[in-house]
Amino acid sequence: MTNQAQKQVLIAARDVNKIFENGCHALKNVSLDIHRGEVVVIIGPSGSGKSTFLRTLNQLETISSGHIKIDGIDLVDKNTNINKLREEVGMVFQSFNLFPHKTALGNVMLAPLKVLKRDKAEVEQEAKDLLYRVGLHDRMQSYPSRLSGGQQQRVAIARSLAMKPKALLFDEPTSALDPEMVGEVLDVMKGLAKEGMTMVVVTHEMGFAREVADRVVFMEEGELVLEESPERFFNSEHPRLQRFLGQVL
Amino acid sequence: MQTPSNRWLGHGLYLVIMAALIAGIYFSGQKINYTWHWERLWPYVINTEPQDIIAQTDGTAVVSASGQLSITPDYGGAPQVVPDYDKLVARDGDLIFQGDTIARIEGWRFGPIAEGLWVTIEISFLSLIFSILLGVVFGLMRVAHGQVWRNLAVTYVEIIRGTPLLVQIFIVYFFIGTVFDLDRFTAGVAALSIFTGAYVAEIVRGGIQSVPPGQMEAARSLGMNYAQAMAYVVMPQAIKRTLPPLAGQFINLIKDSSLVSVISITDLTKAGREVVSGSFAPFEVWFTVAALYLVVTGGLSWAIQRLEKRLAASD
Repeated sequence: MTNQAQKQVLIAARDVNKIFENGCHALKNVSLDIHRGEVVVIIGPSGSGKSTFLRTLNQLETISSGHIKIDGIDLVDKNTNINKLREEVGMVFQSFNLFPHKTALGNVMLAPLKVLKRDKAEVEQEAKDLLYRVGLHDRMQSYPSRLSGGQQQRVAIARSLAMKPKALLFDEPTSALDPEMVGEVLDVMKGLAKEGMTMVVVTHEMGFAREVADRVVFMEEGELVLEESPERFFNSEHPRLQRFLGQVL
Repeated sequence: MQTPSNRWLGHGLYLVIMAALIAGIYFSGQKINYTWHWERLWPYVINTEPQDIIAQTDGTAVVSASGQLSITPDYGGAPQVVPDYDKLVARDGDLIFQGDTIARIEGWRFGPIAEGLWVTIEISFLSLIFSILLGVVFGLMRVAHGQVWRNLAVTYVEIIRGTPLLVQIFIVYFFIGTVFDLDRFTAGVAALSIFTGAYVAEIVRGGIQSVPPGQMEAARSLGMNYAQAMAYVVMPQAIKRTLPPLAGQFINLIKDSSLVSVISITDLTKAGREVVSGSFAPFEVWFTVAALYLVVTGGLSWAIQRLEKRLAASD
């Protein structure tokens, strides 16, 4: 822990509250620091606000009160260019959300070409390298409808990486996958963690949390209940966590 | 399940029924004591008759050595020179009266029906382009975040969908046309574009809303702004989904263009009316006009089907 405390804070959330229009209080005073190069896994029952919290980190969800700073820049500040910030925080979705009208390669190339307005040949080479890295060098010209769930999610990860983000957010990346495809996606994520990518992962994969996470966070009913290193987390006597783990394990 | 033999039986039965229908139409045509004159119709489509060149004044015909024909007027003034002709009617030195045929020119020209068809295609094509522009703009406004835009788009769509096209054509021609000094063709195109644009706007809105919200989120999370996400991610998918309803709408547009004949635009329908009074062959004319509309609408739906097939590559 001391080692991590010395590290630079990349994402800092302070007293984040989210109240939806229908009155649902989804996040209650959530504060969390994520350091550069750190892998933080968020677990919790469905409806606990963990996905909502993740989505506030790149402003797909606005917050009602509190502050979120990415690399020192306040998301809530009206002068912040939110598009610029989103370039730096990639997101991988539960339902992949690949662009169906583009090939795997086209999906990876679109944002660097249109947002960063970079040179096409250069972007194409990088995109091919990224697809190679996620093990899809033979499926570059395939449309998403011709790819399996696991392949689609790997393309989605490559697509996020193409913008060279400072951090990647994963919103239940394996929940929509058939069991035999979970492994290939987790392997890619483990590789990224090893390379030092800052990652915030909402997942139900306890094995991944145990093996890869630097810290594990437990959320319930919109509150951040517990925040510990994996060894301590999974041996914690916390009653609410015990109840949850009893249900899922 | 359909077996192949069943399918051929179906096709055969269809042919028998169609033959019976056509025979029915043919015999009822025979029964009503109507003399069919299809040959009368032909000159109104393509006229191959030689055309007369008419003298404009009284005078004397002069045919020069090189064969050029001119009329020297009796009472002074510039001579009427005939630059080109195929057959001479007047001879050198003939006394000519105004209105006499002095020469004939061979060849063919389009009759009123063909010209009307061209006007219909022109009006439909221009209206199609403008209605797409209007429809995309108002469709995007309909799903925009700003309440102002949404209200404006709803107002446009509701007013246009809630009033008859015929009334709109009159209002555009007599009111807007007078204010902005529009000619009847422009007024006709404007009325059709505004009318069809409202329906296209609703189709575009439906198309955009049928694209899963995750697509917009994924695009935004990659740093695209709203306009980029719309242009590169949402709209390409929406357009593909809207092609079948758009095809129906554009076929309606071609058919609705027949209503502009009420402001004296000589489109296919108005040409048909005029030819009926000239040829006394109403049945033949209206069957021909219907067939020509069918050719235009059929061509359009064929083109859109081709486009659909091309866009289906990613399915």
